[in-house]
Amino acid sequence: MDTTLHSLYLGFSVALQPANAWYAFLGCLVGTLVGVLPGIGPLAGISILLPVTFGLNATQAIIMLAGIYYGSQYGGSTTSILMRIPGEASSVMTCVDGYAMAQRGRAGAALCIAAVGSWIGGTFGVLVLTMVAPPLATIAIKFGPPEYTALLVLGLIFLAYMSSTSLIRTLLMACLGLLLGMIGIDNMTGDFRYSFNLAELGDGIGIVPVAVGLFGLGEILSTPSVSAVKDVIAPRLRELLPTRQEWREAALPIGRGTALGFIIGIIPGSAHVISSFLSYALEKRVSRHPERFGKGAVAGVAGPETANNAASTGAFVPLLALGIPTSPITAVLIGALMIHGVQVGPTLVNEHPDVFWGFVASMYVGNVMLLALNLPLVGLFVTVLRIPYAYLYPMIIMFCIVGVYEVNNSIVDVWIMLIMGVLGYALRKFDFDPAPLVLGLVISPILEQSLRQSLIMSNGNYLIFVSRPIALGLLAVSATLLALAGLSFVLKQRDWRARLAAAEAGEAER
Amino acid sequence: MRLRADHVAGAFFVAFGLLVLAISGDLPFGDLSLPGSGFMPKILAVLTALFGAVLMMRAGETRPFAALHWNDAKHAALVVAITAAAILLLERLGFATTAVLMIFALLTIIERRRLAPAAAYSLGVVIITYVTFVYVLKTPLEAGPFGF
Repeated sequence: MDTTLHSLYLGFSVALQPANAWYAFLGCLVGTLVGVLPGIGPLAGISILLPVTFGLNATQAIIMLAGIYYGSQYGGSTTSILMRIPGEASSVMTCVDGYAMAQRGRAGAALCIAAVGSWIGGTFGVLVLTMVAPPLATIAIKFGPPEYTALLVLGLIFLAYMSSTSLIRTLLMACLGLLLGMIGIDNMTGDFRYSFNLAELGDGIGIVPVAVGLFGLGEILSTPSVSAVKDVIAPRLRELLPTRQEWREAALPIGRGTALGFIIGIIPGSAHVISSFLSYALEKRVSRHPERFGKGAVAGVAGPETANNAASTGAFVPLLALGIPTSPITAVLIGALMIHGVQVGPTLVNEHPDVFWGFVASMYVGNVMLLALNLPLVGLFVTVLRIPYAYLYPMIIMFCIVGVYEVNNSIVDVWIMLIMGVLGYALRKFDFDPAPLVLGLVISPILEQSLRQSLIMSNGNYLIFVSRPIALGLLAVSATLLALAGLSFVLKQRDWRARLAAAEAGEAER
Repeated sequence: MRLRADHVAGAFFVAFGLLVLAISGDLPFGDLSLPGSGFMPKILAVLTALFGAVLMMRAGETRPFAALHWNDAKHAALVVAITAAAILLLERLGFATTAVLMIFALLTIIERRRLAPAAAYSLGVVIITYVTFVYVLKTPLEAGPFGF
C-alpha cells in the first residue's frame, strides 16, 4: 500500500507539471468536443488526432489521448440530452430520459447529474485501477500463450454474447476483423499473406485507417446533411443545479453504475457501450417506478452515464496490466505508446513508472477538469452544436484524411480508410455493428501468435488449454456464455439482450 | 420466397469466405504441432462462410431486402467520389491545396452552398488547421509544389 501511495505521489508530480496538465486539459476539451459532435465518436476522434501527439513525449501523448477518450464519454451526454442525438454509441440510453428531462425544462439538472455521475464513475474507476493494476501485472507475468489465447477467446465470446445485435452477426464481424488482421507478413514463418504485391500491405492493415473509415467516414456517408438538422435545447445556467429530490433519485443509480461499469470495463469488448445499456436495464428493473423510464427518469440518466465512464476507466486495467487491448480505443492507445517507443504490458509499471503513474494520476486530474469544464462551458457546446452539419462534415473528412495519412505517410492507408468508409456504410444498412470487426483486427495478431505458440508448446495437443487452471477457468466461462446464448436461441426466448436491441432500434428510429 | 436483407448479407459472407479459401491455396495449413501461415486464415474463412450460411437460414425473421432505404446513397456516392479525388491529389498538390478544393467541392456540389461563402469557409478552415498542425503542434503536413 505504501509503495502504491509513493508511486501515486510520483505520478502526481508528473501529471501536475504545467506542460502535462496542459495536455490533459487540451485532451479533455477536445474529447468533450469530439463527444458533443454527432458523427465523430471517441475512436475516430482519437485516431484522427493521433498525429497531433507525434511532437510530444510518451507521457504527454498518453495523457492527452486518454483525456480525449474519457472527455468524449462526458461530451456524448450533452448532445443526447440537448438534441436527442447520441454523440457516440454509449450515450444512446441517455437520449431517452435525458431529452425527456430537457423537454420538461430540466436540461441543466440532467447535464449536471450526468457530469457528476461521470466524475464519480471515472474517479472510482481510477481508484480501483490504482490498486488493482500493479498486482495484476505481477500475476500477468505468469501468463503463457494458452492463457492469453483463452482470455482473448473469452473476450470475443463475451462481446458476441453481450451484443445487442445478434450472436451470429457479432461473430461474423469478429471473423472479418480477424481475417483483415491476417493481411501482411506472418510473424512466425515470414510468408506474405494477401498483400497482392503491395509493399505497404506487408506490415498489415493498421487500426487507424480501419477505425476512422468505419466510424468516421462511414457515419458521414450514412448521414445526409438534410437529415441532420435538429433543434438544440439551450439550458439556462441558473437551472444547472438539480433539486434535492433529483439528487436523491440519482444517488443509488450512480453507485450501481459505478460498480457495474467498472466490472464490465475490465472484460474485453465495447465495454462503455454495453455498460450503459446494462445499467439502464438494471435501473429500470430495480426502480419502484419503472413507468417513469422514457419520460424523464433521473435514474435513466445517472446510471448509464456513470457506468460508461467507469467502464472507460476499467478498460485500462487489462491494457496496463496485461498489455491486452480490450477495445479498439485502447488498441489505438497502445499504438500511440508504441510509436513513442513504450511497450505496454506487465513490465510497463517497472520499466516506465513515470509514464504509468503519470498517466494514472492524470486521470484523477482529468476527471476534475472535466467536471469543471462541462457545466460552465455548456453554452459553448450548445454553440458548437448549432454549426450546420453541412459545414461540419467536410471538415471532419479533412481531419480523417490528415489523421490517417500522417500516421505512416502512406496514401495506401488513406485508400483503405475510404474502402472501410464504404464498408461501414453498407454494414449499417444491413444492421451490423462494426465494433467487433475492429476488435477482431486488434487482437488478431496476438490471438494467432498465442494459439500457434500454444500448439507448438504442446506438440499439437489441444488439451493444453484445459490442463492449465487459468486457461481452463477462462474457457469454462466462454462455454457457459455460449450455452446461455444457445439456450435462448433454442427456446426462442426474448432475453434481456433482445429487449435492449429493441430499445436501441426504437431509439435509432425516432 | 421473399428476398430478405439477411439473405443478401449472408450470401455475401459465404462468397467472401469461399473467396478467401480460394486465394489461400498456396498458404501452408501445417498441422496441429506446427501450424502454418494458412492455419488461422483458413479456419476463419470456413467460419465466415458457415456463419454467413446460418445468417441466410435465419433470414426469414429479418426485413425484406426491398424495404432497405437507399435515399442517402446519392449523398454517399458523391462524398466517396470527391474524397477519392482528394486522395488522388493529396501527394501531388499537397495538403493545403487539396483540402481547400475538397471542402469547396463538398460544399458547392453536394450542399449547394453559394460560391463565395464556401470559398471563404474552405480557406479559413484549412489555414487554421495548417497553422495549428505545422506551427503550434510541430506536425508537418504533406507539402505540394507551392511549398505548402
